[in-house]
Amino acid sequence: MSAHLEIAGLSVAFRDHQEERPLLEGVSLTLTRGEILGLVGESGSGKSLLCRTVIGLMPSRKLHVTEGSVRLDGDEILGRDMGAIRGRRIGMIFQNPTSHLDPVMTIGNQIREGLARHKGLDDRAARAEAISLLTQVGFPDPAHAFASYAHQFSGGMRQRAMIAVALACDPEILIADEPTTALDVTVQAQILRLLMELRDRRGLSIILITHDLGVVAQTCDRIAVMRHGKVVETGAKRALLAEPQHAYTRELIASHPSMPHPEDAPETHPHDRRPIFEIDGLDVSFPMGGGFLTGHREVRAVKGVSLRIWPGETVGIVGESGSGKSTLARAMLGLTRVSGGDITFDGSVLTKERDKTLKHLRSDAAMVFQDPFNSLNPRMTVGQTLAEVLRTQGETPRGRIAARIGELLDLVGLNRSFAARRPRSLSGGQCQRAGIARALAVNPRVIIADECVAALDVTIQAQIVDLFRDLTRRTGLTLIFIAHDLAIVRNLCERVVVMRHGEIVEDGPSARVLHRPERSYTAALIAAIPDINPDRPLNGGQPLTQQEYAT
Amino acid sequence: MRRYRFVLVRPFQLIPVLFGISVITFVLVRLIPGDPARILLGTRATPTAIANIRAQYGLDEPIWVQYLYFLKNLAAGEMGKSTLYKVDTLKLIVTRIEPTLALVVAGVVLALVIAVPFAAISARRQGTAADHAIRIVSTAGIGFPSFWLGAMLIILFAVRLDWLPVSGYGDSLGDKLLHLILPGLTIALSLSAVITRSLRAGMIAGLSSDVAVAARARGMPESVVFWRHVVPNALVPTVNLLAINVGWLIGGTVVVESVFAVPGLGQLMVRGIFSRDYMVVQGVALTFAVATVLINFLADVVTVALDPRVEL
Repeated sequence: MSAHLEIAGLSVAFRDHQEERPLLEGVSLTLTRGEILGLVGESGSGKSLLCRTVIGLMPSRKLHVTEGSVRLDGDEILGRDMGAIRGRRIGMIFQNPTSHLDPVMTIGNQIREGLARHKGLDDRAARAEAISLLTQVGFPDPAHAFASYAHQFSGGMRQRAMIAVALACDPEILIADEPTTALDVTVQAQILRLLMELRDRRGLSIILITHDLGVVAQTCDRIAVMRHGKVVETGAKRALLAEPQHAYTRELIASHPSMPHPEDAPETHPHDRRPIFEIDGLDVSFPMGGGFLTGHREVRAVKGVSLRIWPGETVGIVGESGSGKSTLARAMLGLTRVSGGDITFDGSVLTKERDKTLKHLRSDAAMVFQDPFNSLNPRMTVGQTLAEVLRTQGETPRGRIAARIGELLDLVGLNRSFAARRPRSLSGGQCQRAGIARALAVNPRVIIADECVAALDVTIQAQIVDLFRDLTRRTGLTLIFIAHDLAIVRNLCERVVVMRHGEIVEDGPSARVLHRPERSYTAALIAAIPDINPDRPLNGGQPLTQQEYAT
Repeated sequence: MRRYRFVLVRPFQLIPVLFGISVITFVLVRLIPGDPARILLGTRATPTAIANIRAQYGLDEPIWVQYLYFLKNLAAGEMGKSTLYKVDTLKLIVTRIEPTLALVVAGVVLALVIAVPFAAISARRQGTAADHAIRIVSTAGIGFPSFWLGAMLIILFAVRLDWLPVSGYGDSLGDKLLHLILPGLTIALSLSAVITRSLRAGMIAGLSSDVAVAARARGMPESVVFWRHVVPNALVPTVNLLAINVGWLIGGTVVVESVFAVPGLGQLMVRGIFSRDYMVVQGVALTFAVATVLINFLADVVTVALDPRVEL
């Protein structure tokens, strides 16, 4: 088979006045016609930059190619006019379809734009072709989708729309940059299946950028592992996964959460004491739209949920986006108004004695948020943030605050010098550790962590999960861990609560729920997790339901 | 079409707003020191003559009774007789509204004609000399007061170059348009400065947005990326900014109409204030308020048309 795209010794540097910093160093890669090449690496490894360089769309003018070549079908394309290559020969789809699709142009017109430019179709022919493309990517009502806007669809359907927009240019090569990272597992499975189908049907060659080795194992033919701007290892999928040569590849594989962990499914706590949280028939509704003199509509985010959580438990709440898991967590901490039912925290009823219970909650419960950067005040150092909490709480004597900050940083595994740093100068993992330190500052009995590792790289995820495991074991902390990633929950939590459409569908010990699920929905969620073992094929991602189609 | 349903509902929501505005203007006008009857009759008027005039215009009644008369008149299509012009205020407003409306429209159109290309050049050549020049001019444009700017334009184009009329408002359509150029430009220069800055910021954000990156990755030439994807997205916030500024502008025509002696509502307002002509002042103020409310309503319609995500 011939090389479709050949990257040889490609180096890219950031140049600003005197400073020159290499970002890609001597990257060589070959994409064979009709194959799916998985490009794996953590954030900052240069995988996205590599692909942007190939199509001549580097994100900054300060980036320059210092050496190397990129050949498309044997012809050098670096430095050439890319107008005829971009879209037409090499197409690209992105991680976030919401921001990459034009919000004020219909999906149909965005497809038609490519058809008119690259295939010279007139309006009517382009419309017919666009509808056919929308059918190919799985829209059940393509004519309706043609006239719709991106915001009218769910995340998965938006990604399908973006694929259709890219296919409109009829590319030979498709670069997919983290196309499923923002999607739920079942939807991810559908999109991955669609990409494989398109490869077979249209003879596409695909470069799939991802941080998830499971995705690679399920879809790719070959794998290239990148780190610090270099390709550290390339190889056929099975060989590379079975016998990784490079230490970093081994670390990546070991960090993958779907690997059976030695302490798989922690043991369960006895339920002999009074529950720390008692939730009965909880309802949370949000008003939607409407206004003065017009009717209100309501969305019921949580519907009649009853749940007991005992002291010392580690409970994972899992579910897809929109399942109500975050709303439940916010309601438990009194951060969201409740429309019905009762929440009792340690004997006091939040829904009845709100002020008293809130006071109690603020000193005994803390939350860790998904986005580590945006949940820390950028103007305050980590030390100031922690000091603020300690002062407000008032249990630490003034003179002890500095010492206590040091202890907290030790507890989350950050060097004490981090007290003087601001969030901007921290990495994602360090920021999240600071966020956890802030939660621990009140000396809480309960921590609710809402998707707190979702934005982190796998190796960092593994570290944070280890940190939580260590904290719960050492301090008897009750942990409520909200995640969409079942594999992480299986490693960390003794009990799993599965939510769907605002209701609890399954609740039980992790070992039982995740290995012998009683409900088909739980089983489908588990089946859709891309396993790192290529011989355990991707399940789930069944044909669209009406629910998934609309937002 | 569901997104446009607010067009039917909104007028009913405006009733309480307009009611509130009418109360406020009515009361505020009467807080201006000075007695209309006294001003009308001059310093040597007898107390009896003043009492007669006050009775004739209902000024001797308690304020809430006066307000009820005002509402009653309004229902009958009248705004009360002007003490200065001796005709009904609504008739005065109807005859004076055209120049003001024409002036505002001319100002907005000229402002857009200036702002859109300037913002486009500035955004697409960010950091170049052209960008800096446009930014300096727009910052200066915000700083110059319109009475000064208007006077300068008159000196240059009407007095020195003698291209355009100094002041007034013509009779025929062509003559009117000619008379509108300088006052329109006065409004446009400061208005375009605000719009240019907002549009430029929106366009610069748009040029590096994911939407633009995705369009370039599909092989779209830069002009298509800019005019078809960046500009429509940058227009959305600008429409609201424009609406706020036009609302402010309607009050601002008072100054420009005085400088250029345009016989519009602003001029009527100024005369009314000086002669304590309560009916005229409250009538014009109410008209301005209604116009501002209508413009914001119009801006909402345009926003809904431009941005399919907006639901009102």
